[in-house]
Amino acid sequence: MRAPTRIQVKLFASPATDVPSRAVIPVFHRWIQTHAIDELLIDVTDYGHVPRGPGVLLIGHESDYGYDLGEGRAGLLYTRKRGGSDDLGERIHDATRRALRAAHLLESDGSLAPLRFDTRELLFRFPDRLHAPNDAATFEALRASLGSTCDRIWSGAAHTLSREGDPRAPLTVVARTETAMALDALVRRATG
Amino acid sequence: MATAEPPASPASWKELLADRIDPDLGREIDIFETQLELRKQGKIEERLFAETRLRRGAYGQRYDNGQRHDGLVSQSLAFPDVPTKGPHTMWDAPGMQRIKIPLGRLTAAQLETLAEVAEDYSDGILHVTTRQDFQLHFVHIDDTPDLMRRLAAAGITTREACGNTVRNVTACPYVGVCTDESFDVTPYAHALTYFLLGHPDTQDFGRKFKVAFSGCADHACGLVHMHDLGYVARSRTGRDGTLERGFAVYLGGGLGSLPHQAKLVDDFMAEGEALPFAQALARVFARLGEKKNRGRARLKFLVEKLGFDELVRLVREERAKLPADARWTTFLDDLAKHEERPLKPGSTLGIGTFPAGFAAWSATNVRPQRQLGYSVVTITLPLGDLTAAQARALADIARRHCGDTIRTTVDQNIVLRWVPDAEAPAVYEALRDAGLASPGANTITDVTACPGTDTCKLGISSSRGLSSVLSEHLAKRELDPSVRRLQVKASGCFNACGQHHIADIGLLGVARKVGNHRVPHFQIVLGGETTRNAGAYGLAIGAVPSKRIPEAVDRITDLYARSKRPDETFQAFVQRIGKLKVKQLLEDLTVVGSHELESDLYSDWGDPREYTTGDMGVGECAGEVVPFVQFGLAASEREVFEAQMLLDAGQPSAAARRAFGAMLTAAQSLARTQNQDVSDEADVIVAEFRKHFHDTGLFHDPFAGDKFAQSLFRAHEASYDDVAPDVAHRQIEEASLFIDAAHACYTKMDTA
Repeated sequence: MRAPTRIQVKLFASPATDVPSRAVIPVFHRWIQTHAIDELLIDVTDYGHVPRGPGVLLIGHESDYGYDLGEGRAGLLYTRKRGGSDDLGERIHDATRRALRAAHLLESDGSLAPLRFDTRELLFRFPDRLHAPNDAATFEALRASLGSTCDRIWSGAAHTLSREGDPRAPLTVVARTETAMALDALVRRATG
Repeated sequence: MATAEPPASPASWKELLADRIDPDLGREIDIFETQLELRKQGKIEERLFAETRLRRGAYGQRYDNGQRHDGLVSQSLAFPDVPTKGPHTMWDAPGMQRIKIPLGRLTAAQLETLAEVAEDYSDGILHVTTRQDFQLHFVHIDDTPDLMRRLAAAGITTREACGNTVRNVTACPYVGVCTDESFDVTPYAHALTYFLLGHPDTQDFGRKFKVAFSGCADHACGLVHMHDLGYVARSRTGRDGTLERGFAVYLGGGLGSLPHQAKLVDDFMAEGEALPFAQALARVFARLGEKKNRGRARLKFLVEKLGFDELVRLVREERAKLPADARWTTFLDDLAKHEERPLKPGSTLGIGTFPAGFAAWSATNVRPQRQLGYSVVTITLPLGDLTAAQARALADIARRHCGDTIRTTVDQNIVLRWVPDAEAPAVYEALRDAGLASPGANTITDVTACPGTDTCKLGISSSRGLSSVLSEHLAKRELDPSVRRLQVKASGCFNACGQHHIADIGLLGVARKVGNHRVPHFQIVLGGETTRNAGAYGLAIGAVPSKRIPEAVDRITDLYARSKRPDETFQAFVQRIGKLKVKQLLEDLTVVGSHELESDLYSDWGDPREYTTGDMGVGECAGEVVPFVQFGLAASEREVFEAQMLLDAGQPSAAARRAFGAMLTAAQSLARTQNQDVSDEADVIVAEFRKHFHDTGLFHDPFAGDKFAQSLFRAHEASYDDVAPDVAHRQIEEASLFIDAAHACYTKMDTA
């Protein structure tokens, strides 16, 4: 299977710790000013007015970072748009690593307290209907790579992968584990 | 890493969709893809490529010149080193893809396709424009051929969505179901759209060309008077007693920096003449329209140059010479083809218990159709935006309740037609579940806005940021019903894509310099009218800092609610009390404190960066500035306002003269920075201005060039003895823009 060009990874904010999306606007602007992420970052755009929308987006050349309101649940949404490895497993792992790192940066920003992310759930979405049509075969083809990444960041803890959502939407897989872990531990495992 | 045995991927969208795309359209997209490749290889000149991609709807976006001010410094955006996609336009910079939706007419399946391409190539948001188009933002140019193929497979083209072409043909979204239309203009607008699309006679314009249709003369929906060419449906009884269809035809309208009202060509043009007349006009416009000076290239300037009667004479002469074309009338044989059929029988909304929120939503978002038992439901889209998931939900709702009767509106909303009345509560619940059941359609909270500084290269102020905040602010207030009916429209710059001229309260983004900083402002524009097909344009009464616009709107609307006479319209109210009173009401809001004390005013809505206009690409220019410049500019603003007072008082000649005086004051204040001895003589001021500011390019706008300087020169040569009101109106508009340009020039000089 050719690796999908677009891959999204979302970490949901823990209930009662999410912040208004507009609070993230100055944080994303600071990321551009300080080159907080080693990527070409371009601008910040506000979709806070759209119910269950993208919230606030930090637009980059190869990736976007969003404080997303989709699914009716706030969270950090990372989108790989172009560039990076062509290997499916590496591409999924790299997207997960970047999502975790960005979530950790948000958690660490004092202006966003008490924001915390729930590390027991990860949403993977593949908005590339050419290379990742939303069907059972593609899900099966992705399962091993997704499982491998989950094993690594959750340190082998038992987890489930389920295909969810509207069949017309991009293929969406939700990974869940019951073991709560610190976000920085996940970042370390993803990076190490 | 380990992977399972993969399913085979199709090679490309081109292969996958080959049998679903119209061959001609497919070939066009293949050619476009080749042109992309040739440009990458440097085999197509960048300006030619820019116009090529524009004609396929692929537009530039802010920061695509590779520069962005991050609030502290201007940063270079290090895009990969590949050829540009136009002058100063980086190949890899995100762009905007405009998608033409003729008449705003959509099927559920098309809406689903739009959702798919928004997710696969954009940021998941579909944006409805003020021309019933969709726009996707942050699209990479490399993705556009496949994006176009997927749309083409759904029967949608992006051809001629931008560039110097016939833009999306718009029409009232209620045609066919409206209670007071003459007849349904859908088949005519559809026929004209596809007749002119790609027609050889429409390929050599100096600027864009906009066409609109309206089913009636009195209401807002068609906005015919602000178009290059507009058709208003008319019926009459013929000599043989049968009902004849035709159109009142208007031409030469437009908004932009110098708005013009279209003028009546013919109060009853037979239906069979609609297409050939448009073709003849296109030929004359292509032949005689301005090609070099973009600022004077719209049809309205050709009207000005030739005179309306002469232009009409030339068009009629051209029409007489046109070789006959069967397409002019063949569509008339099958008008019924475009008739919508209701999915379900009409029904009555009974008395009973309805879902919470239904009554408030229904009061503003449900409108009875002419056909008994059916209604049009309006989906209020905040700033014209909806998510891909919402688009799919909307497609489901349409399939369940009304079929393929979806239309976008110029107010950046979507309507569902032919909803059986009894099903309105179920539609409401389904929309609510999708986050699409906001009430307030076409009320003061339903603010229209262009993209502004969010994504537009020309944006000066954040029209979307302001509109979002203003809408939320107004929704929280208990408003008088007369205030609730008002319309607010915001444009981020003088190009007026937000159509601020025709709103009850129009907002036009401008910048002002305070000390060593710049402050985002909006001009408050009063006197506009969407009714009577955009029957009147407003004029700016003064600029207020962006962050104080909600307070300004509160004051104006409170005054209206408190002091209006029974049934007095907002326009009549403003006319009666005088704009001076409104201006005085806002006077204290215009005073900007120091950066230290009021730092919030020095950034824009939704953007914490220190405000700058540098991202527009304004270059540096030399010059020495002395403080009295600001006094001179302030005086010129006062004079232009006085000109409005004179116009309102029925003295157009004096108004035009005063407006020219305002321009002279602004020009003189700038000229004195170069020559302190500039006298008060008009000839001397204009000569000095020309020498130091026009001829040096110092006054040039980065996008409009010397357009504003030319307006001074024209005003200097004009006679003010017997000026018509519309000419005086335009003179005031030009003076206002000239002064804004003088502010921008002063800011550039000071920065340098």
